[in-house]
Amino acid sequence: MSIFYDLTLSHFLVLAATLFAIGITGVLLRRNAIIVMMSIELMLNAANITVLAFSRGFAGQDNNAAYQGQAFALIVIAIAAAEAAVGLAIVVTVFRTRRHSDIDRLTMLKD
Amino acid sequence: MITIVPNDFLYLGPLAVLTIVGLLLILAEAFAIGKRRRFLMQLTVAGSVMAIFAAIYTWRSIEPGTQISAFSGMLIADRMSMFLCALFAGSTGLIAMLGAAHQREYDWQVGEFYGLMLLAAAGMCMIAMAGDLITIFIGIETMSLAVYVMTAARRRSRRGSEGAMKYFLMGAFASGFLVYGMALLYGATGSTNLQTIRSVLATSQSSSLTVAAIFMLIVAFGFKIAAIPFHMWAPDAYEGAPTPVTAFMAAAVKSAAIAGMIRIFVQALGGAIVPFGQVGWSSIFAIIAAITMTVGNIAALRQDNIKRMLAYSSVAHAGVLLVGLVAAGIAPEGEGLASVLFYLLAYSVATVGAFGVVVWIGNRDRERVLLSDWYGLAAAKPAAAMVMTLFMLSFAGIPPTGGFFAKFFLFKSALMAQDQALLWLVIVGVLNSMISIFYYLKVVMAMYFRDATGEFKPLNSGAVTFVLVLCGILVLQMGMMPTSWLGYLGV
Repeated sequence: MSIFYDLTLSHFLVLAATLFAIGITGVLLRRNAIIVMMSIELMLNAANITVLAFSRGFAGQDNNAAYQGQAFALIVIAIAAAEAAVGLAIVVTVFRTRRHSDIDRLTMLKD
Repeated sequence: MITIVPNDFLYLGPLAVLTIVGLLLILAEAFAIGKRRRFLMQLTVAGSVMAIFAAIYTWRSIEPGTQISAFSGMLIADRMSMFLCALFAGSTGLIAMLGAAHQREYDWQVGEFYGLMLLAAAGMCMIAMAGDLITIFIGIETMSLAVYVMTAARRRSRRGSEGAMKYFLMGAFASGFLVYGMALLYGATGSTNLQTIRSVLATSQSSSLTVAAIFMLIVAFGFKIAAIPFHMWAPDAYEGAPTPVTAFMAAAVKSAAIAGMIRIFVQALGGAIVPFGQVGWSSIFAIIAAITMTVGNIAALRQDNIKRMLAYSSVAHAGVLLVGLVAAGIAPEGEGLASVLFYLLAYSVATVGAFGVVVWIGNRDRERVLLSDWYGLAAAKPAAAMVMTLFMLSFAGIPPTGGFFAKFFLFKSALMAQDQALLWLVIVGVLNSMISIFYYLKVVMAMYFRDATGEFKPLNSGAVTFVLVLCGILVLQMGMMPTSWLGYLGV
């Protein structure tokens, strides 16, 4: 089972792409707002794994490129946290007015 | 190697003013006790005006046609970005005036509103000045997070929270695509700097990574500007949000997303690097533009809620703007970019004005957002009906308004691009302008040719009147002397 010993860049990229796909599926299929938010976090973290995998790949040949990726990843982490805070606050306002957070039952606004 | 030259700070003017005043306003909310809240709005307007002056000052200090790279390329200062900063600050100031009256009337006096608005405007300025994927991302998120909160600002309103929830979930979903696209682009080119990305892509065969990255970025920006098929959040969020916030979303947020697209697609991935065929973001956007204009206009035809109708109309305008972006992308030496910027100006002014009338017309007993609520406005309040007519004509692109020249310049630049490759798109665009006349004139018909269903008791606010008069004058001025603005666009 050599894939457990020789991890290459592609392994991380495939992992990230899988996580991203799971995230998209979660957003599109799940109906609870909290779980949708968790899926979105999964998408952001998939992007972070991609950035860091590339950054590790650039390290050694092009350190400048590697540092840019690391800075990007840190900023994505910080912003994802801020986004989660705002999102949870919005879930709370929805829950306060309706006693549920099921996005399929948010039907006051429609054509 | 990161080097920061003291000179770089000179170009931060508008961004710094908006950030500092925004933070001050959030602090000031703590001291806004009781009914003395007027100064919050006054401080917001003062901050916006200062930011406009800072942008004008910086604009004048930059040579025409040069791009000054500041903070090791993280920010780019050029005349275009300063024009956009002034546009964002201007719409922020005008919408703050609408917001104060709306808050008093509907009793949702949330002081953070003003601070968040200026911080959102700071994020927009950062997008306009962005020279790096990181700064574009920070700018977009600073703007979006603030606007999500503003959408939900009427906490007890069920519509408001529903609109905010939909807006937030779709916006965050789009951010996922944005970050993933940027990650792939970084992997494909080994840099987050837009200049470096451009030069790397120019010398190498575009890989499948680049194609995937551009696909993700198209989805992300499609959501942000509410292009079809990524528009489903827009009508709900526009209807649910308090009207001044809707104006902010339609005018400023959409313009900022277009500014981000100019930076990424037109300047970093455009021109000789990504023409039609190779990676071809422009061919995808051309198709999206055609669908967006058509579906947006047809959906707007059957709306009876004014805010919803304007939401679909802004979807259709996003399609027109995409036509300009495609033209600018495939023919960078043409006038595509200038026409997009002029369109943003004309569209923002008319949008702020139109939503200003929507704020003005209602009161806490009757908000008057349905078309039938506008019956007979011309007989009761002729001046208001006249400015609303002006804004509708500008949206529809009928002279003598700014919207006419905006559409004219934009379609002309699209026609000139690459041997009329975009001729079909221009034809679709012109046909769509004709469709759009139907629903814009529906508002005019309602105001002029129907009988009123009750006495009009509009908001009695000097600030709102000022906004309406100023936007009306600007719409007319742009329609009479459009060329006076072309020199300021900076491209």
